[in-house]
Amino acid sequence: MRKYLPVIIILAVLAIAVGAGLYLLRPASTSEQAPVAPAGKPVAANPIAAAPGAVPPHSIGSEGAPVTIEEFGDFQCPPCATFHPVLKQIKSAYGPRVRVIFREFPLLPAHQHALSAARAAEAAGLQGKFWEMHDLIYENQRSWHESKDARPIFEEYAGRLGLNLDRFRKDVTSDLVQQRIFLDGKRGHSLGVKGTPTVFLNGRELPVESLAPDRLRARIDAELAATEK
Amino acid sequence: MNATASNEIVETQGRRQTILYAVAALLSLVGLADSIYLTVEHVSGRTVLCTIVSGCSEVLRSPYATIGSVPLALVGAVSYFTAFSLATLAAFGNMGAAKVLTVVTGLMFLVTLWLLYLQAFVIGSFCQFCLLSAAVTTGLLGIALIARRLSGQAINSP
Repeated sequence: MRKYLPVIIILAVLAIAVGAGLYLLRPASTSEQAPVAPAGKPVAANPIAAAPGAVPPHSIGSEGAPVTIEEFGDFQCPPCATFHPVLKQIKSAYGPRVRVIFREFPLLPAHQHALSAARAAEAAGLQGKFWEMHDLIYENQRSWHESKDARPIFEEYAGRLGLNLDRFRKDVTSDLVQQRIFLDGKRGHSLGVKGTPTVFLNGRELPVESLAPDRLRARIDAELAATEK
Repeated sequence: MNATASNEIVETQGRRQTILYAVAALLSLVGLADSIYLTVEHVSGRTVLCTIVSGCSEVLRSPYATIGSVPLALVGAVSYFTAFSLATLAAFGNMGAAKVLTVVTGLMFLVTLWLLYLQAFVIGSFCQFCLLSAAVTTGLLGIALIARRLSGQAINSP
């Protein structure tokens, strides 16, 4: 028996390791991911059949563009900030051939300022400056993500963008802004979004590896080539 | 030194080796659990939460976190499982496994040094789970070397 004991131990550990990996990979409960969005299992993996999200969405580019990139982002998520310049380059390189949509998906409670950031961006959107605020928040993420209260910093950004500050302060806590974030979160859940950034290219979710600039370009080029055939 | 005393030395060092390899096996389990967690987070694309050092997500979403399309964390999990198996066999007296364990942990340590360099100078962020892995690998190599040294002393004792 002693002869086989090490083999038994090794096989037992292997079984436990594989089992633990598979257990942890099971879909997480949605309430752990983004409490701003409603609980419930993802109901569809098809972006068209899924919940519509906030209407109109924050988008750059025409609806008829051959390629649509839909990003679910959290302003406090470091990989989202890393992905931000990548997407910016894509926008300027492809112009009207690519439409970019941004969806709010603040990960709470992991990111304490994510919701304030989403609200600030949405409030700026009500004054027509969503993308400007979106860029400012991402590009300065390191300067606010560890602050105790990020809201005054976002207000300062609003001032920098020339927004009406009284209106901005009201809008940040408004039902309309809250509802937009809720609807984007609902769409994310219905698509099975679990983390950020999650990116859909013409309705298909891209693996994380494809978010590297060269790989993303290759994907877009392939998509453009397919639609131009 | 008489034969009884020399036998006692060999037995004591044999016991110490067994304990060291058992500790190495347990340490490998820590590394294995860490790697499995990182693999799962990588595959699922979740944002990894950090409490000590910020930058987990930068590191785990960097292009260096994969070899081709295989997550580096998965390679780590396989390495730790290999180290665990070898340490377990060595603890049960398989000296061939002990030799291989020293080589394997040596290679793991070299990879760890490279990954620490990437985190410090290329990515510019540290990930605490990656640092835990580095500590475990360093510990494993230390134990493997000490155990090998004991083994050499036992063989050379009169």
